[in-house]
Amino acid sequence: MRAFADPVTLEVIRNALTAIAEEMSLVIMRAARSPLLREAGDLSSAVTDADGNLVAQGRDVPMHLGVMSFTVREFLKRVPKERLSPGDVWFLNLPEVGGNHLPDVKAIRPVFDGGAVRAFAVNLAHWADIGGAIPGSYVPHATDAWQEGLRIAPLRLFTAAGPDREKLDFILANVRGAAEREGDILAQMASTRAAEIRLHQLFAEHGTGTVLAAIAAIHDRAEAQMRAAIAQVPDGTYAGEDWLDDDGSGRERIAVRVKVHVKGDEATFDFSDSDDAVPGPVNTTPFITAASVFYVAKALVGPDIQPSGGCYRPLKVVTRPGSVLDPGIGKPVVGGNHETSQRVADAIFRALETALPGRASAGGPTTSGLILFGGRRADGAWTTLYEVHGGGEGARADRDGMPVIRVHMSNVMNTPAEVIEAEYPIRIECQKLRRGSGGLGRHRGGDGLHREYRVMCQDMSVTSMFERRLVPPYGLRGGAAGAPFRVTITRADGRAEDMPGKANARLDTGDLVTVESCGGGGYGTPAARGNRQNSGLGSTGGGTS
Amino acid sequence: MAERAASAGAAWRVGVDIGGTFTDVVAIRAESNETRIAKVATRPGDRVNGLFDALAAVGLEWAEVGDLIHGTTMVTNAIIEGRLAKVALVTTRGFADTLAIGRQNRRDLYRLDVLPKLLPLVPRERCLEVDERLDADGRVLKPLSEADADDAVDKAEKSGAEAVAVSLIHAYANPAHEERLGERLRRRFPYVALSNRVNPEAREYERTATTVLSASVMPLAAGYLDDLARRVPAGARIHLFHSAGGMASAEALRDLPLGLAMSGPAAGVAAAARIARELDLDHVISFDMGGTTTDACLIADGRPEIATDRTLAGRPLRQPMVAVESIGAGGGSIACFDHGALRVGPESAGAEPGPACYGRGGTGPTVSDANLLLGYLDPARPLGDGMRLDPAPAERAIAALAGEAGLSVRDTALGIVAVANQTMVRALRRITVERGVDGRRCALLAFGGAGPMHAAAVARAFGIARVVVPVASSIFSALGCAAAGMSYSQQRTVRMAPAEWDPGRIGSARTELRARLSAPLVAAGHGPHEIRIEEVALVRYSGQSYAVEIHDPDFADQADFGRRFRERHERLYGFATDEPWELVALRMRAFAPQRENGALGIAAAPMPGGSQSAAGACVFDRSGPVATPRHERSRLAPGQTVRGPAVIADAFSTVVVPPGATLTADRRGHLFMDVGASP
Repeated sequence: MRAFADPVTLEVIRNALTAIAEEMSLVIMRAARSPLLREAGDLSSAVTDADGNLVAQGRDVPMHLGVMSFTVREFLKRVPKERLSPGDVWFLNLPEVGGNHLPDVKAIRPVFDGGAVRAFAVNLAHWADIGGAIPGSYVPHATDAWQEGLRIAPLRLFTAAGPDREKLDFILANVRGAAEREGDILAQMASTRAAEIRLHQLFAEHGTGTVLAAIAAIHDRAEAQMRAAIAQVPDGTYAGEDWLDDDGSGRERIAVRVKVHVKGDEATFDFSDSDDAVPGPVNTTPFITAASVFYVAKALVGPDIQPSGGCYRPLKVVTRPGSVLDPGIGKPVVGGNHETSQRVADAIFRALETALPGRASAGGPTTSGLILFGGRRADGAWTTLYEVHGGGEGARADRDGMPVIRVHMSNVMNTPAEVIEAEYPIRIECQKLRRGSGGLGRHRGGDGLHREYRVMCQDMSVTSMFERRLVPPYGLRGGAAGAPFRVTITRADGRAEDMPGKANARLDTGDLVTVESCGGGGYGTPAARGNRQNSGLGSTGGGTS
Repeated sequence: MAERAASAGAAWRVGVDIGGTFTDVVAIRAESNETRIAKVATRPGDRVNGLFDALAAVGLEWAEVGDLIHGTTMVTNAIIEGRLAKVALVTTRGFADTLAIGRQNRRDLYRLDVLPKLLPLVPRERCLEVDERLDADGRVLKPLSEADADDAVDKAEKSGAEAVAVSLIHAYANPAHEERLGERLRRRFPYVALSNRVNPEAREYERTATTVLSASVMPLAAGYLDDLARRVPAGARIHLFHSAGGMASAEALRDLPLGLAMSGPAAGVAAAARIARELDLDHVISFDMGGTTTDACLIADGRPEIATDRTLAGRPLRQPMVAVESIGAGGGSIACFDHGALRVGPESAGAEPGPACYGRGGTGPTVSDANLLLGYLDPARPLGDGMRLDPAPAERAIAALAGEAGLSVRDTALGIVAVANQTMVRALRRITVERGVDGRRCALLAFGGAGPMHAAAVARAFGIARVVVPVASSIFSALGCAAAGMSYSQQRTVRMAPAEWDPGRIGSARTELRARLSAPLVAAGHGPHEIRIEEVALVRYSGQSYAVEIHDPDFADQADFGRRFRERHERLYGFATDEPWELVALRMRAFAPQRENGALGIAAAPMPGGSQSAAGACVFDRSGPVATPRHERSRLAPGQTVRGPAVIADAFSTVVVPPGATLTADRRGHLFMDVGASP
């Protein structure tokens, strides 16, 4: 590890860079117009070095974290540095250019000093709509990438002279809610501008050379931490697999397989044996695959490792072109972002469970449980409720699972019943634990959620994008699987329909949508539990308490 | 005439800030402008006796006290330490699991071993459901089942609960069902908290959790208040400092004890806001650095920012309170060497054993140890309780770290202070950027034990030009208590779009809020003409989640109201559009301004003989020690200018004036520092 002579300046610069990334996210949340950014905070910001390696990160969304560490590097392969000028802000969302899915649009600003690019400010924001077949841009039956919305190859939307109005208008003409989107674009631009000002202050204060040396030291330090963490894992090859339910176009049980080769302080994650790409939107990108690898490495061996490009040096990720994790250009990916990323994490956890006993949890709600309601309010305005549903946490070696929680790659909150009823033509009939849904075991999985949505208007649309409906959360070491995810539409006349995980349906006044999210898997054999009761954790075992 | 004599003598107004380690006291006699201050050790076991100690320390008898206002960490600590009463919860059928579900997000993204969210304060068997249902506008969809209500009261009693919380879906829009349940419950339970009274706002999880938390500290607060009433002689009026600023009576806090959750920091912020108004400073950041934490708050146009969506110990606490950002770094924060970088905190030496220089067995190198080695703190000078700082253990602690980091002891000490200051800068940036304020325009108002010592360096690192160290800075929160007026605040959801604008409906909500908030003021003897009302309307574009505050709103004309909203939005966020907007909530504060009109301050007559007492050597940067005059704060003459390097000390705290900075004292005892540039 290259030593940075001065540990104080190193810490001061590291703190300042993190503060810059944090400020970037605050600027977006303050200035953006769509609730998804302002309230749910579905966004991330980062500062990278001149080669696009991530140095500091603001809001820590694990999925975004890994992806953005590739965005600028892949962007530079398309747009060489010679074409960049001070004042540029480039926008892009292509999954194949360091991306994940079309709604997550990235903004990149090169930061110059002394005539050369010294750093990049980059942010990612989930746009509430990016065009495509259905409002909200979640198309369950999409069979190619062009049905999913507007594909933005790297596009210089701003220069030092200001916005490029024609390009801006072109984008706004291809998405729903143009006014709201324009506000989001301006917010993303303003956020990179704030970072540029702060970076210039930092260069002036410490000297550009010192800041660049500190950045190199930050990478080295993260690398050293990651190497120390990997060294805890015994050398060997560990295989694991897990399965996606389906792709919405007829494929079921799509395998994600990993072989983890650990040698000394390095590890290779080889996903070559995973199934081929599928027609439906659960494919994902190698960048998302790497994001999941990085998350699992942190969660299993190094929760305190500073996120920086240096972390990746000892981690090698291999995907096979043409597979579900490396589908190439043209395959739909919108659901893969938050569903397949979780499956990648599951496969690695299952592979390393034996090498690191007691570290992994049993299977949990590794799905966003996404249900989108689109309908008209009493005043005629069109409105979309984008709702994610947590489930029961998988049990662990030393405790039961927690009921109704988000795990691993995402952490977005629910919308309160009182807010839903005030703003959407929906009534929440009840929200409760789905008792008995957690898997039995020495330690029991947590219970899922049971929530009922009563439709209060004509002609509402409902779209699903969830997993763990066919392949339930697994138990570990003899623990039972959790109950699978289930969504039921009960029509006003009493007919009940089971809703698939990637589907769209029409609803009318009086129809009821019942969401029963999956329970967590159990850990250890049920016989080993004895008479122990649970106190707020773990499944209540079919209503016995 | 004994009664007359007593009331004539009872002219003292006493402010007491009961902190974790020290209790600060300020006593002011308005007619003679006489002031007494003291600092005594806190007695954690017996709070009421602590008040007696505090009075004795300023040489007063209860008979001489008119009003005594105190801030307390009693409720805060009970919540942090989980010393809470057993509560039963009554809620709408179908929603008993609301607390267990929460917002479904986890606390730590990468730690699988820790519990991802806190267990609910009320276990399922004490969550009781009743048949009833309202819609979002408060219309009754299903009337309250009387049989269920009786049954819930019985079950609550059988459950062994000490207090009961009631939180029904949409009760913020119509309190009728909750009030009927409350009536029945009060016949059997001394402590009942209704969500429409505690927190009449939408979002069932946060409202329910807040109401349960309120119920869970009611017995503790009532016990203390009863004890006070029993032991304090009749005639002295005892008040507590409210989290949103201003004082509140014991009677009111008995029902709403969460008003005490930020009692301590709020007093300092209130005093800072008052100084900001007196000195006409439009943007101030209050900077209160203590032993384990540093509290910062933005004060714009003399008004402290008020937040209503804070958490305490990981639990939602939706009550209006000063928006203090608490940073986990203070004098006791411990430094360590971690993979090539010097880190400070979050580990802290706390009050016991404290920093190494306290000589009580602490061995971790802390920020205070660094300040001592750099020459800012004077080992010859006793602290408030007679303790002296010992450089030897401080040096040992820092030398050990220096060895690991490959630095000299001096550079390590400088490094600890620089890294701690950088942590503060990051927090200051957050509180200003969030509000759309350029922090460099602000003045830094520094107080607390360590605030004035770090203020100049923090200001420089942040780009702030001006530091103000107010009079009595080391006991500033106690001064804030002594200077407080009486006040109560609450926020209530009132949703209304321009198309359905109904000044009548807003009017009745305002009348009701006003009556509720004024009642304790009237009970405390304030006439209706003395009570003033401050109102804030919270407005947003439809679909947004961040609401903009409109102060002193006029609801008569929606077009006019909409114009004010757009102007305010433009000012805060740099843009405004003609999109639909909506009123979402009203916040009201009822208060009785203090009758005296004088400036906040303590008469501090300069003593003859000049201010400079001794010269020492201080280290400000790597160029090494420089001769640094040490001034006695009480001897600074009004208008006197001190050029850095210099150190200004009073009995309890130290102001560091680095080279390049200039400090001036004014008549009232405030110190103004132009921090200049680092030379």
